Amino acid sequence: MLPATAVSLAVLAALLAWPVPALLARARWPRRDPLVALVCWQAVGLAGGLSIIGALLVHGLAPWGHSLPEALGAVLTGHPAGDPVRGDHWVALTLAGVLASELLGVLLLSWVRTTRARRRHRELLELVVQPSADLPDTRLLEHPAPVAFCIPGARPLLVLSSGMVAELDEDQLAAVVAHERAHLREHHHLLLLPFVAWEAALPVLPAAGRAHAAVRELVEMRADDVALASLAGRVPRRTLARAIVAAAGGPGGAGVPDGALAVTGSATGARVIRLLEPPSPLSAPARWAALIAAGLLLLLPTVLLLAPAF
Amino acid sequence: MASLGELERAVMERLWAADGPVAATALRDGLADRGVALTTVHTVLTRLEQKGFVVHDDARPRGFSARSTRADHAAELMHEVLGQAGDREAVLARFVGSVNADEARMLRELLAGGPGTSADAAR
Repeated sequence: MLPATAVSLAVLAALLAWPVPALLARARWPRRDPLVALVCWQAVGLAGGLSIIGALLVHGLAPWGHSLPEALGAVLTGHPAGDPVRGDHWVALTLAGVLASELLGVLLLSWVRTTRARRRHRELLELVVQPSADLPDTRLLEHPAPVAFCIPGARPLLVLSSGMVAELDEDQLAAVVAHERAHLREHHHLLLLPFVAWEAALPVLPAAGRAHAAVRELVEMRADDVALASLAGRVPRRTLARAIVAAAGGPGGAGVPDGALAVTGSATGARVIRLLEPPSPLSAPARWAALIAAGLLLLLPTVLLLAPAF
Repeated sequence: MASLGELERAVMERLWAADGPVAATALRDGLADRGVALTTVHTVLTRLEQKGFVVHDDARPRGFSARSTRADHAAELMHEVLGQAGDREAVLARFVGSVNADEARMLRELLAGGPGTSADAAR
């Protein structure tokens, strides 16, 4: 007899593995408030991991006690199991261990790999970029392609190519720099990291890829919003949209080797449309409803894990 | 006093410009306007060697040279940094990836006819 807690957690995990990310990725409201949507995505990811591992643990440890804390205590203090331990208990415990170490291991590996790649990129760049005279935290890279990017980390680097500087006017350049600064200041790379890692860990789960693409797009939209707030010009939305279009379709753009650019492309279009025809911002009650839903999503598996089995 | 980063850049500039291996003393003389001591030059060269940008020969005195030409360095940089392959996307945040020709045209048309000005005015 499976404890009802394990069943509830398993149902929650199934919902979070497929229907919930599918709905959230298809919803129209996230582009009205990217920040709230990013919070919701983090909650979906965390609650999903918690509930699937929790379901397996609760079922596997059921012979040792009626709640997870009780059973864990019994195992750790060496108490014998109260009920007979069957094969399916061992299978559940093994799966929980494998899944937990895979999710955390891939996250760690992903972090180590990106940190190493960032250091390498910074070393390569530091030999050829010049500090910018006008923008104190910005470096200039001599290259015809219009590119701008930042490398996050302990020593962040914000780089503009000479092609980008030539392509854009002063206001547009300020918009680009404000966008990249927003990425750095709000640590968007940390919001993305778990989704990058879990897409690599769970290639069979379509929701993992969908979640990653959605979070990537939302992070760009959030940086656009922050940039708009800091821009002085008369028509900041149009300035930023012009900068995006110039950078995306610039003459040197073809010189950059392309990889997953089809995905980036459609997201770029969505950003421009959103800037030119802004959707109305989410109302305060809707904002709070979404944030409370995210909080409850995290609370539910936590309570199920800690409460006595029923 | 120049920072290590600036000195690394200055040393690389000289190594890329040189015809053959350059001795540390010659580098120090070339950087005389910055008032750099020979030990500092050695520190910078060691750092550059650890990063794999500089190699030295066994002549006396040791000659230092850049491992790749400036053009090769730039090519490697653009390939590694902007290649956007696999999880490369997680490493840096790029303002916009390049889009295909159709989409670029669509975006330009959108910009030409879009009601963005009114949206800004309404803010």
